[in-house]
Amino acid sequence: MDSSALNSPDLQRFLNQEKEKAMVNEMVAKLTSVCWDKCITSTPGNKFSSSESACLSNCAQRFMDMTMIIMKRVQSMQ
Amino acid sequence: MDSFSTGSSGTGPPQFSTDEFMDQMKVQLAQAYAQEFLETVREKCFEKCITKPGSSLSGSESSCVPRCVDRYIEATGIVGRALLTSRSNS
Repeated sequence: MDSSALNSPDLQRFLNQEKEKAMVNEMVAKLTSVCWDKCITSTPGNKFSSSESACLSNCAQRFMDMTMIIMKRVQSMQ
Repeated sequence: MDSFSTGSSGTGPPQFSTDEFMDQMKVQLAQAYAQEFLETVREKCFEKCITKPGSSLSGSESSCVPRCVDRYIEATGIVGRALLTSRSNS
């Protein structure tokens, strides 16, 4: 790839998309790890109980709620 | 870098197209994601299934592991979908 190809808008768009995808992937991976630890307390079975799957879903959403609160709090301090 | 060359005349450095570069990047990214996922699943399922390491894997430990992998994949889906829901609502 010669240096002029580095400026191609296709490549820039691609890199931005992949960067965004990587950030989303990292967030999902981290959240799954945290929520798995919180919600799956017993030996994994053949399927999740309804309380386990509700816990996982709630955990993810509450984590996002908490993130908003933290950001607002920090912003209000500046 | 030979795999990237598109048959240049050989007078300069190998030239490869943006498309080939992007394809190659996608493959490498997918491999990196898969590797990371594998390591996480391994850690989580070792913790949940192998509570008292013995001189070999017991029957219940061996059957726990594939179930755990399935559940972790399912958990990733649940969390991913919950994230999409909260993002669209915010």
